[in-house]
Amino acid sequence: MSKVKGLFKARWASSLIFLILLFLITGIADPAFLNYSNIISCFNAATMYTLLAVGIAFVIMTGEIDVSIGSTLCITAAMTGLIAQQGGSVALMLVVCLATGATVGLVNGVGVAYFGVPSLIFTLGTNSVVRGLVYILTGGRTVENFGGAIASYGNKTLFAEITVYYAIAVALVAISHVVLTRTRKGKYFIAVGDNAGGARLVGISVLGTKILAYVLCGLFAGLGGFVFASKYGQVMTVAGTGYEMTAIAACVLGGISLSGGLGNMIGAAIGAVIMSSISRLLVFIGLPSTYDNTITGVMLIVIVVVDALAQHRSVEMSRRKRLLSRTAENAPEGGGKA
Amino acid sequence: MAANTNTQASVPRLQVRDIRKAFGQNVVLRGIDLSVSAGEVVALIGGNGAGKSTLMKIIMGIYSCDSGEILIDGAPARLGKPAAALAAGIYLVPQEPLLFPNMTVLENILMGFAGNEAELKKRVAQHMKELGVDLNLQRKANTLSIAEQQLVELLRGLMRDARILILDEPTSALTFGEVQALFRVMRDLKSKGISMIYITHRLNEVFEIATSVAIMRDGLITLEGPVESFTKEMLIQGLLPKDAQAQKQGEQAYEPVRYEALKPVLEVRSFSGYGFTDVSFDLYPGEILGIAGVVGAGRTELISTIFGRDKTLSGKVLLDGKDITGMSTKQILKEGINFVPEDRHAHGLFKIRSISSNTTSALLSGGEIGKVNMNRRRQREISKKYVDDFRTKIVSLEDLIGSLSGGNQQKVVIARSLSTKPKVVILDEPTRGIDAAARSDVYGIIRQLKEAGVAVLMVSSDIEEVVELADRAITVFQGRINGEFSRGEITQDVLTSASFGIAQERTV
Repeated sequence: MSKVKGLFKARWASSLIFLILLFLITGIADPAFLNYSNIISCFNAATMYTLLAVGIAFVIMTGEIDVSIGSTLCITAAMTGLIAQQGGSVALMLVVCLATGATVGLVNGVGVAYFGVPSLIFTLGTNSVVRGLVYILTGGRTVENFGGAIASYGNKTLFAEITVYYAIAVALVAISHVVLTRTRKGKYFIAVGDNAGGARLVGISVLGTKILAYVLCGLFAGLGGFVFASKYGQVMTVAGTGYEMTAIAACVLGGISLSGGLGNMIGAAIGAVIMSSISRLLVFIGLPSTYDNTITGVMLIVIVVVDALAQHRSVEMSRRKRLLSRTAENAPEGGGKA
Repeated sequence: MAANTNTQASVPRLQVRDIRKAFGQNVVLRGIDLSVSAGEVVALIGGNGAGKSTLMKIIMGIYSCDSGEILIDGAPARLGKPAAALAAGIYLVPQEPLLFPNMTVLENILMGFAGNEAELKKRVAQHMKELGVDLNLQRKANTLSIAEQQLVELLRGLMRDARILILDEPTSALTFGEVQALFRVMRDLKSKGISMIYITHRLNEVFEIATSVAIMRDGLITLEGPVESFTKEMLIQGLLPKDAQAQKQGEQAYEPVRYEALKPVLEVRSFSGYGFTDVSFDLYPGEILGIAGVVGAGRTELISTIFGRDKTLSGKVLLDGKDITGMSTKQILKEGINFVPEDRHAHGLFKIRSISSNTTSALLSGGEIGKVNMNRRRQREISKKYVDDFRTKIVSLEDLIGSLSGGNQQKVVIARSLSTKPKVVILDEPTRGIDAAARSDVYGIIRQLKEAGVAVLMVSSDIEEVVELADRAITVFQGRINGEFSRGEITQDVLTSASFGIAQERTV
């Protein structure tokens, strides 16, 4: 019984229920939606957002933010395309994507954790720099017409209409989830976001943990870039713009608190499916897809505000409780003279 | 009792030698020597800003010291970071427990541990049994009381096989029963040979739990020895500056306030809020009422609640007979109470604005300096007047306030609160972080306020300051007023005793 109760209390569970409701409502509006293909394609379409969301979840868990992942995805996608044009191997593409992503992450991590620049500002800066590098790298032109092996991977399915990429993404979600919630070092991410001072006192390196979170985030963004190139076969210089916001929103929808220390990877993955599904579902419901951004935006604001109010309330309550306990005794003390 | 008397023969477990530390110009520790033997409980006492917390943070590796060394079991230790201190068997239970609020008790205790969880769980259960505590390990930390949070902290320390526990004011937020339970645990740990450094403001507790005492003042240990050789009075003397006994209130031309002829401007009646209970006092026009007490006694909470920044639980505040209880800060300002905050950087200054903008910023909503367009000349006139009155050292009124020294900044903040012509000015730590020369200027200004008929309510942790300025003083101890003193009675001795909760005859 208490297990069931605990499940409903779990923040990721409520986002799963939300996703199911979303599917059901769409199904009521248009019964044609409710079949296996349509639903599984919602999941498949969420591959890139899933990767980005899991990556950024590490950063958000530590209480920071990273808005540079959109352009990191773009530059790694462009690099993949350029290598493909030269006939390079897939292994080379993956190495370049991961190395580039990790480098951007390292720069972000050092800037935020070591130099203490507010994370939004710093990663906004790296976002611009990386986007600028895309223009330099591509000469401002769209990278396209690259064939070879990777173009054919994009829509390959593994079984039951599940794409290879989504299967890989799910495997990575599972690994990240276990690392985050079951391993000693993984729990450090949560600990740092939950209470940095306390983490320091039990010997956790806050600096190292934050840098590692940014590097992981960059790695996932690099992987996202590879998937992007493979799926679409062309990379415009503006590719990935706004993806960072979608990924952040996916995390928040999945129950990860923007103040850090709360949530898990399953939530982030479900949030990513919600975010990528909404525009599809609107089509079935019959609303123009122009409503897409507004609806996700409103959802995001509602969740963040409710979350912030709840956090503020609990901080204030514990402060008051503490102050009250100081004066809880009735008779003033100090009467006993030595 | 007699188990730990032969400490002379063995090597102390923890020894700090000639530790010095300064933050910029501010010298906090001036050469500290302290040693703790196995099974010893050293009570560390000291007023606010004596350097206790800094010392503990150095031992814990959170700060590094400028010079000096730390020895563990006689061998020099490099404790550059908390992980090293933990490995050396030192564990700090901070004043406000630093748990992970969103994790369970078990996760909190085991954070940072590797190994078989079932085995670790068994050890936790073992420790809990030994301590005789019963905690549900699956509870979220944010549902725990302060006492329970402290137990979690202690368990964390024990799980790490800590041999030196540092307890920073562990009893400051506990009820009487909880304090007794904590002491029981501490005695048990003591009998197991664990060393403890116990920071406290409560002298009664020193005699109850400690085996030896060290008193810190101004970054030095002034008094040290086994607890049996001290009395409470001796401890109080150790807390006072050397020349304190002789020092009385300044004998310079002092105009006594003639209370008979006055009606109180501010009346506080059975006032309770978060952090203080049943507080009553009167404040008269043209007087300086000092509020003394140690940090955490509830003074700051009291004045910020009067000023409408926190919720009133019961009681009343009357300003000129008018009930202002529970009004918003904006209304209270309008009614004529002004507040000069403790932290002028966080709450007082608009750093990147000019001196004149800062001086007149409290008038922005009043219309006196223009409703839509700023009347710059009027702004300058007002600012000029205060700069002259207060002898604030400036080059130009248009200079940024950030370019001034601390003392001069504080003058501008006080000027701003005066510009609204308040009936009551509340000063919270008016000379914190201000050098000695500027301090006497600020004192001069506070006296000017008084002469102008303003009622001044001054919270200060600097007892000398209260002695110097106050016409009357009240002391707050654990959220209640435990002493009220008139001009003739105010001495450092009396105020310090009362601040630390030592009974004095209450004079009304």
